[in-house]
Formats: sequence, C-alpha cells, structure tokens
Amino acid sequence: MSQPRSSYAVGTGLFIVLGFAALAYLATQTSSVANNVRQGDSYDVSAQFTNIGQLKERAPVKIAGVRVGQVQSITLAPGRDAAEVKLSIDKRYDHIPQDSVATIFTSGLLGDQYVGIDYGSAKQMVAAGGTLARTKSSQPLEEMLGKFFGAGGVVDNIGGSYTVKADFTNVGALSAGAPVKMAGVVIGSVQSVRADPTKLNAEVILAIDKRYDQIPDDSAAAVFTSGLIGSQYVAIQPGGSPDVLKNGDEMILTQSAMQLEDLIGKFLVNGSPSDKKDAGSGKQ
Amino acid sequence: MNARAPQSRNVVTQSLAQIGACGLFLLTLLAAVPRSFRYLRETTRQLWFVGAMSLTIIMVCGLFVGMVLMLQLYHVLSIFGGTSASGMVVALSVYRELGPVVTALLFAGRAGTAVTAEIGLMRATDQISAMEMMAVDPVAYVATPRFLAGLIAMPLLCCVFCAMAIFGGHLVGVTWLGIDNGTFWSNMTAQVDVHTDIVNGVLLKSLAFGAVVSLIAVFQGFTTPPTSEGVAYATTRTVVASSIAILALDFVLTAFLM
Repeated sequence: MSQPRSSYAVGTGLFIVLGFAALAYLATQTSSVANNVRQGDSYDVSAQFTNIGQLKERAPVKIAGVRVGQVQSITLAPGRDAAEVKLSIDKRYDHIPQDSVATIFTSGLLGDQYVGIDYGSAKQMVAAGGTLARTKSSQPLEEMLGKFFGAGGVVDNIGGSYTVKADFTNVGALSAGAPVKMAGVVIGSVQSVRADPTKLNAEVILAIDKRYDQIPDDSAAAVFTSGLIGSQYVAIQPGGSPDVLKNGDEMILTQSAMQLEDLIGKFLVNGSPSDKKDAGSGKQ
Repeated sequence: MNARAPQSRNVVTQSLAQIGACGLFLLTLLAAVPRSFRYLRETTRQLWFVGAMSLTIIMVCGLFVGMVLMLQLYHVLSIFGGTSASGMVVALSVYRELGPVVTALLFAGRAGTAVTAEIGLMRATDQISAMEMMAVDPVAYVATPRFLAGLIAMPLLCCVFCAMAIFGGHLVGVTWLGIDNGTFWSNMTAQVDVHTDIVNGVLLKSLAFGAVVSLIAVFQGFTTPPTSEGVAYATTRTVVASSIAILALDFVLTAFLM
C-alpha cells in the first residue's frame, strides 16, 4: 500500500497486456490457426476418391512432400459412390498439370493421412475450380497387409464370375476367400471348400472372373503357399486343349497342398519320415 | 447480511450450510456488481495484487511444469518411437488440464489466502462495521472488487502459465533432447484446436476456476469468526475448499466440454 496509485494502474495494465499477449500467442502460434494463415487467396481444385480412409478436413496437401495447401471440404459426390475432396492450394503453386495424380497417403505407419499430388507431364494446367481426374484412393491397412501376405487383392466379382470345381486329396490350410491365381495374377477366389462324403477328398469351388473365360479345360489346379509362412492359394497352370472351361466344369488335373512336414521328412530321410526316428533325434 | 454460517456439530449439515451460505453470498456479490463500478480504482488495485503480483510464481511454475512434462513424455514415448508427438501431447495436456488446474491451485494458495486473511482481519478489527457506519457498502467496496479481480486475473494468468509451459517444453524437448523444431511445432499446430483447446480448455475452465476460488476466498473472509484463530481457520478452509472445488469442477467441466 506504500506505492502511489498510478503504479498499480501501470502494473495492472502491463499484466493485462501480458495475459492477452500470451493468449494471442497460444491461439495463433500453437493451434491449428497457424496452419491456415493464407486463407482466401488460394487455388482450389477438387478431386474424387473412391475411398478417403481417415482423411480429415484441414489435412495437408503436399507436392513432393512439401506442404502447399490443405483439404477444404470433403463431401459425397452427388449420386455417386465417391468422395469429392476440395483442395485449397497456395496461389504460388497453381501450375498443376492436368494429368497429375492425387493420392491419399498416410504419414508413417500410424500417422495422419494427407493428399499428395504427383505432377504429370501434360502441357495443360488444371484451372482454378477444376478437377484432378486421376486419383488414387487411400489404401486400407488390411488390404496392404493382405497383399503382402498374398491373400489380398481378391475382387468381389458379384455376378461377374463363373465357377469351376476341382478335387484335391489335400487342400492344406486353403479356405474360402483365398485367391485363385494364374501366372501369379489374381483372377478369382475360392468360393467354398468342403469334404466330399463319397469320394473322400476335398471339393473346392473356384469362382473365376468372367474376363478370363479362355482357360483350357485341361488346365491344372494346384494348391500353393505364398512364401514360407504365407497363406495358401490356388494356382491354375494352363493346359493346351482347344476347349475352354465353362461354368460348372470340373478340373481333372489337380495337385494337392504340400505339407511342410512331408517336405522336410522327404528331404531328411528320403520319404520315410516314420522309419528312422531314432537316427533323426540322435543327430540333434 | 447474515455473516456467520449456522453452527452445527453434524459435518454434513455444516458443509451443506456452508455451500448454501456461499451460494447466497454469490447472489449478494452479483447484486453489488453495479454499485462497485464506483470503486473501479479499488478493482484495479486488487487486480494488481492478485494478478500481477502472482505472475512470478505462475511463470516459474509453468516453466517447470512444461519442462518436466516434456522430460517424462520423451522417455515414455521413446519406447514406442513416438517422440515427435511429445510437443503435441505437452500442448494438449497443458491446455486441457494442467494449465487451468495448476494455475487455479497456485492462485488459491497465492491470492485466495491473502484475500481471506485480509478481509478476515478487516472483520476482526471491525473495519467492516466501520464502513457500514460510514454508509459505505462493504460488499460493494471490499468483496466485489476482489471477486471481479480474481475473475479477470485467472484466465490471463492461465494463458501466461500455458505459454511458459510450452516454452519450457520447447526448451527441454528441442534444445536439450533434440526433437526437431519443425516437428515439434507442426505436430502441435496439427492437433491443437482453437475452440476445443484454447477457448474451452484454457479460457472457460480458468474463468470458472477463477470465479470459484475468488468466491470461496471472499466468502471465507467475510464469514470468519472475528478472532485471530478464526482468521487462521478461514485461511486454511479457503485452500482446502478451493482445491476440492477446483478438482471436482474440473471433472464436471471436462465431462461437459469434451
């Protein structure tokens, strides 16, 4: 109470100014406001994606990894099964070739998603308000893992496939939904696997895409494993017959799944795994 | 005005009576707000006392809270390889919880006790009665300026606290532990939202805590028994009641605002 009154006023004023300065700092420098400083003066283009995954509004738009703008809005394109994403890009980068590809990427394994634009080579540029025609949608992690383990990439050919039957003496771990491949390319999927009660073998129904209707009817079907510990799939090895497989046909030539135990047994003791058990364990 | 809460031995009844008396006192305070505009200079003086004088402790504590938070987070997040997110986590936890709560607790200890003791001594030395004799409304002249000052000072102090915590986190994280400066800021700005974190977290919470702490401090001062022992009890009760009220209100506010 010893100080004159005016010093209270000055000190209090300083305190209030400092408080508001701190508030302004918090609000503008450490929050999302810092990301949209350049608002309004932007170059807007839109792109349609079939799947946007976890993309959010205000997600970054990057060209060559450099942030050039942000996602302005995400709406469902009217009457279509596609997401319309409006990108608001800095005016300085308004020379995007028309055949550029917009892709939804994930930063890191667990990071947020962003839109990356890969420049094309066209002479014509996308006009402001225009649309990037070429897009790549977000890749769901399940699909990527599936591809990695060989079980993915199976297209649901609803109404667009024909079925053939194949009998195997042993299908291993083959299950419904596993891919059917020809020359390593997925052409269909396993529709069902069941044991035949009379023939005492496994009856596998394969659903093959209608586009691949030129498969010779003496082609062989084999159950393979992708990699050492990968999942199993059916491989079709084309034959030479002039006739083609048709809906409901049966594939005669089949090759069953190799059991890893059998293979190792064959390799070690020439095909009689149970004979020389003592010798085997003695070596180890 | 009934100065003293009804005496009773039952703890529950006593607490209820306290809460009720506190609520009534709040109404008296609010009713006196228009009359207290006459004493604007007194409000400024109180703002200086509870706000500007608390700056040192708030800034130092904010700095250390930010620093220790960053240190802890860095070591935990390095297990998962997510140290780049530590700046963002420091910002979010300080804005949403630690900033308002720690500032309010410090404010109750630094300013609330002083207000209670001052008013309690005024009552013990009959200064309040003297004001009434001179036709000066003690609520409008003593209580309301202190309440308003607390209400204004808390959000400002909380902003300073948060800014210092971010600075402390930056100091430890970027300067000492070697997190990339750009990653530190970009992760923060990607996640901190002005509405949910700054307005709802920092401003609204600290405003509510400022109102509660100031109300409890002024109320305890006004209702203290006019003895030196009574002033001591009232000061203790201010800290205890404020801390409980802050933490309970924090839970309620978080549940509603999130």
